[in-house]
Amino acid sequence: MEESGGRGPGPGRGRPPGPRRPTAGPTVRPARGSGRPTPVGRPRPQQPPRAPATPTKGTPPPQPRRPAAARTPPRPRKRRFAEVRLGDPVRRIRVALLVMAFVLSLFAGRLIQIQGLDSKTLEARGLEYRERLETLKARRGMITDVKGNPLALTSDAREVYVDPKEVAKSTKPGADEVARFLAQTLQRSPEEILAKLKKTTTQYQVIARNVDPAVGAQIAAKKWVGVRVKPHYRRLYPAGDLAGGLVGFVNAAGKGASGLELQWNDVLAGKDGKQTVEAGQLGERIPLTRSAREAPVPGKDLRLTIDGDIQWAAQEALADQVKRTGAKSGSIVVMDVRSADLLAVANAPELDLEAWEEAPEADRTSRAVTDVFEPGSTNKVITAAAALETGVARPDSVMRVRDRIRCADRVLKDAHAHKPENLTFSGVLATSSNVGTVMAANQVGSEGLHRFLRAFGFGDRTGVGYPGEADGLLPAPQTWSGSQRCTVSYGQGVAVTALQMASVYQTIANGGVRLTPNLVAGTTGENGEFVAAERPEGVRVVSERTARELSLMLEAATTQGTGARAQVPGYRVAGKTGTAQRWDSECRGYCGYTATFVGFAPADRPSVVALVVLQAPSNGYYGGDIAAPVFKRVMSFALKSRKVPPTGTTPPQVRIRADG
Amino acid sequence: MSVAARRRPPLRIRVSSQVTRMDGPLLVAAAGLSAIGVLLVWSSTRLWNGAESSAFASRHLMNIAIGVLLLAAATLIDVRWLRTLTPVFYLVSMLGLVLVLTPLGGTANGSNSWIVVGGFQLQPSEFAKPALVLMMAMLLSRTRENAGKPRIPDLLFALGAAVLPMGLVMMQPDLGTTLVLIATTAGLLVLAGIRKLWIFLLIAVSVSGAAAVWFLNLLEPYQVARFTAFLDPSTDPRGVGYNSTQSLIAVGSGELFGKGLFHGGQTTGRFVPEQHTDFVFTVAGEELGFIGAVTIVALLGVILLRGLKIARESGDRFCALVAGGVVCWFGFQTFINVGMTIGVMPITGLPLPFVSYGGTATFANMIAIGLLQAMHIRDRTFT
Repeated sequence: MEESGGRGPGPGRGRPPGPRRPTAGPTVRPARGSGRPTPVGRPRPQQPPRAPATPTKGTPPPQPRRPAAARTPPRPRKRRFAEVRLGDPVRRIRVALLVMAFVLSLFAGRLIQIQGLDSKTLEARGLEYRERLETLKARRGMITDVKGNPLALTSDAREVYVDPKEVAKSTKPGADEVARFLAQTLQRSPEEILAKLKKTTTQYQVIARNVDPAVGAQIAAKKWVGVRVKPHYRRLYPAGDLAGGLVGFVNAAGKGASGLELQWNDVLAGKDGKQTVEAGQLGERIPLTRSAREAPVPGKDLRLTIDGDIQWAAQEALADQVKRTGAKSGSIVVMDVRSADLLAVANAPELDLEAWEEAPEADRTSRAVTDVFEPGSTNKVITAAAALETGVARPDSVMRVRDRIRCADRVLKDAHAHKPENLTFSGVLATSSNVGTVMAANQVGSEGLHRFLRAFGFGDRTGVGYPGEADGLLPAPQTWSGSQRCTVSYGQGVAVTALQMASVYQTIANGGVRLTPNLVAGTTGENGEFVAAERPEGVRVVSERTARELSLMLEAATTQGTGARAQVPGYRVAGKTGTAQRWDSECRGYCGYTATFVGFAPADRPSVVALVVLQAPSNGYYGGDIAAPVFKRVMSFALKSRKVPPTGTTPPQVRIRADG
Repeated sequence: MSVAARRRPPLRIRVSSQVTRMDGPLLVAAAGLSAIGVLLVWSSTRLWNGAESSAFASRHLMNIAIGVLLLAAATLIDVRWLRTLTPVFYLVSMLGLVLVLTPLGGTANGSNSWIVVGGFQLQPSEFAKPALVLMMAMLLSRTRENAGKPRIPDLLFALGAAVLPMGLVMMQPDLGTTLVLIATTAGLLVLAGIRKLWIFLLIAVSVSGAAAVWFLNLLEPYQVARFTAFLDPSTDPRGVGYNSTQSLIAVGSGELFGKGLFHGGQTTGRFVPEQHTDFVFTVAGEELGFIGAVTIVALLGVILLRGLKIARESGDRFCALVAGGVVCWFGFQTFINVGMTIGVMPITGLPLPFVSYGGTATFANMIAIGLLQAMHIRDRTFT
C-alpha cells in the first residue's frame, strides 16, 4: 500500500527517495548549521539541503546523501543549549509498524489457540455455566368419588417470587414500585412484600403461590428484573369437607400429607420430567438453544368407592346428631355388603380440605379408621357367633337370665334391673342382655371367644389402605383378668375401630365371608383406561347357616328389641345397638358412653351395611336412642340412592322369651 | 519541490477535491468496524429488560451518524486553523474534565466520568484523547523561527500538557483512560524523535512511578484484584477472574465460523459483563468466530497502518505527530481491549475503537479519523 498514491517506484524500499517526494531525505540529511536532522516531514522548498558539517570528514559528497532510511543519521558533535537531540522518527515509525504487526499476529495466534485448539474445552465450560436442569412437574391425578365427581383436583396456577438481590440492583422499577404493584395485583399488603424485598442477601422469596394464570401473566408482562412468575400446580378440593378426612390433603410442596392423598401419593403424583435448558446469568431461558427433555408422566386419577351422595347424607345426619346430643365426635361407615366397598366414611367434626390448616390435629384424619373405642353390645354378635358355631347354644335355646352375674371379683349387671326371666338366645341378643351373653361366653370359653374375635378381624388392621389405620386392642386370652373374660363378651375390655366393627356385620350379612373393605375402586391412567383395584379373596369366618341365624337374631333386635328406632319403613333391617362405657384419656377413666348402632338391610338379602357411633354424647346415651335414628336416616337414603328394592317379605316370628 | 512549483495549492478549500483526496482504506476500515459494531451491540443488548430489542443498536447508529458529521468537519478543517485552535480545544477539554469532578458530573460504575449537556451524556475523558494528541503535537512541533527544532522548554511544556489530563482523569478515577493518555504521550515522544537516553529516562521514571503506586497502595482494591486475576484467572473463577474466564469461554466457543449472530449462548445469557462496551469483542468471538474476530483485528490493523503511513508521508511535523498520536491512542486501546478479552492483558475498562457502544467515544474516534484524513489531504494539497 505504500506504493499507492501515484508515487514513483523505489528501489525495493517502501519509501523511495523519488525525485517528486523525497520524504526520507530531510531526516537523514544533516540540517544546516548544527548537523542535526530536521523533524519529520519534507523540507520546505526554500530550505535547501546543506552539506554535512563534520561526520563525513574526508568524503565530500556534494549532493545530499541518500542512504537507506534505516541508516542512523550521523551524530552531531556540537549542539546548541536547550535544543533537544532527536532520534530518527521514520525509523521509529518503522519500529512501531513492526511492533504492531507483531502484536496483531500475536493476537491472531492467541485466537487460533482459544478458538481452535482449546475451543472444545472452553465451550464445555460455557455449558457448565449455562446448562440448568429443570424439573417439569407432573400433574397430580384427580381423586373422584365412585361416580367421577371430583373430590380433589389439580389446576394450573402461578407462583410469583422475587429475587431481592436483583431487584435491589435495578433502579428502574425500584423496590417501592415493585411492592406497590405486586400488592395491588395480588391483594397483599405492600409492607409484607417490601419486607421480603428488603432481604437483599437472599435470591428467592415467594410472594404468592396459587396465583391465577391471568394475574401471573399480568405480572410477567412487566418484565421487571428479579420479579418472576413460574408455573405451578394448585391442588383444589372442590367438595370442601366432603369425605375430607378420608381424602386428605397435600402439603405446600404438593406432596400428599394425609389420608388417601398420602396413601396413594406415588400413583397420584406421577413422575416429574426433566429438561436441560440453557439459562443466562439472570436465570432466564436463552432463546434459540436446544434442550434435552424427558416429559413428565402425569399422575393417575383415583376413583374411590365412596358415593358422594351417601357420603353427604351421612355427614349431614351425623353432624346433626352430634350437635343435638352434644357428642364429642362421631363416625358413620356405610359399606356395600357384597363387595365390602365403602360407600361413605363420615366423621364429625369433618375436615374441610380447603382450610385444613385451621383444623386441630385430631380432626385431620378419618376417625372411623384411626380411632378405637370399646364397642359395647355390638360385640355380642361375635359371642353369639362363637356360641352357635361351637354348638353351645342354638337361637332358640332358652336360658334363665337374672339381671346380674358374678364374674371373678366383680358383679356384672344388665343395663336395666329386671326379675329373672327365661330368654331364648335370640332374646339375649335382641334385648342386649349382658348376663345372658356372659353365660354363653362362659360356655364357649376365653380361648374360643378370642379365636372368633380374631377371625372377625379384631386386633388387626382391616387392610383398607389408609394411613394411620388402628389395629384395635385385643389382648391375648392368657392376659385377660378374671372379669375381662366376661366383659369382652359384651364389648368391654377390647377396642376396635368403627370400620372393624362395620366389617364384622358385613361378614355376617355376606353369609359369613369377611371381605377386605375397599376405599379405592380403581385408577385411570393417561390413556383414559380404567384399571379396577385388586380385591383380595374373602375369608370365611362362620358358616352360612350361622350367618343366616345371626341375621335373624339381629333382625329380632330391631323388631322386638333395643333397635326399634333403626327400622326403615318398607325394608327388613337387622342390627344391633351398643352402649359402652367410654374410656376417656382426659379423665383417666370411664367417663361418658359410646352409643352405637350397626346393622344391614334388607335383612333377608343384605345390600348395605352401616354403622353409626357417637362418642361421649351428653344428651342421651343409649345406642338405641341416639345412634339408631341416624342409622335409619342414612340407611333409608343409601337404599334409595342405590335403588335397592324392598324384598317384600315379612320377617319370620322369632321367639325371644320362653314364657312370653 | 518540483511538484510544488508545478502545482500551486488552491487557497480556497474545495470540498469535492477534499473528498477525492481522502484515504479510502482508512474510511472503509472505520465504516466496516462501525457496521460490525452496530450488529454486535444489537446482539448483546437485544434481550435487555425493559427495552426495545434494537434500542441500543439504533442509538449506537445515531451516535455513528453524529460521528460522521464530526469526521467530516475534522476532515475539512484547514490544518493551519487546526493548529491555531489547538490550545482552545485543549482548554475546553480540560474544562470538561474539571466539570466532571464537580457535582455536575454523574457516576457510573464507581467512577465520575459523565457530564450531562442538554440531555446528552458526555464523557469528557474521551475528548481528552484527541485534545492531548493535538496539544502535544503542537508543542513538540513548535519551532523557533529559523531553528526548526524543539527546545527543552517545549518538551517540558508538552509533558506538562500531558500530565494535566492524566491527573484529572485519574481523579475520576479512570485507570484505563489514564493509561491510554500515558501510552499516547509516550508514543508521541518517541515518534517526535526524542533521543533514546530520554526515552530510557522516561521509562525509568514511569516504572518507578508505577512501583510507587503499587507499593504505596494508591490503587483501588478492585484494580489490584483485576491484576492478580489476570496473573491467575483460575484463582476465583466466579469472582474477580470471572470476567476474563467468561470472555475466554465466549471467544473460545465461537470456533472458526462462530455460532452466528444472535446465537451465542454466553452472549445471550449475558455472562460477560459490559459486553456491549468493553467486552464487545467477545460477542464477535462467539457469534462471528475466528473469521469475525480476525476481521475486526485486521480492520483495526488497517486503520493503524494507514495512520502510520499518513504520519510517515506527512511533510509537516505537526501533521506527522497528530497522525502518530492518533495511531498510538488507537493502537494502545486496541491492544489492551482485545488483549484482555483473549486473556493476554489484564482487565482494564477500555472500549474497542469503533466497535464498542458509547457516544462520546464514537465521536472522539470519528474526529480522530477526520484528523488523519485532514493530515492526509493536507499532504496532498501542499505538495
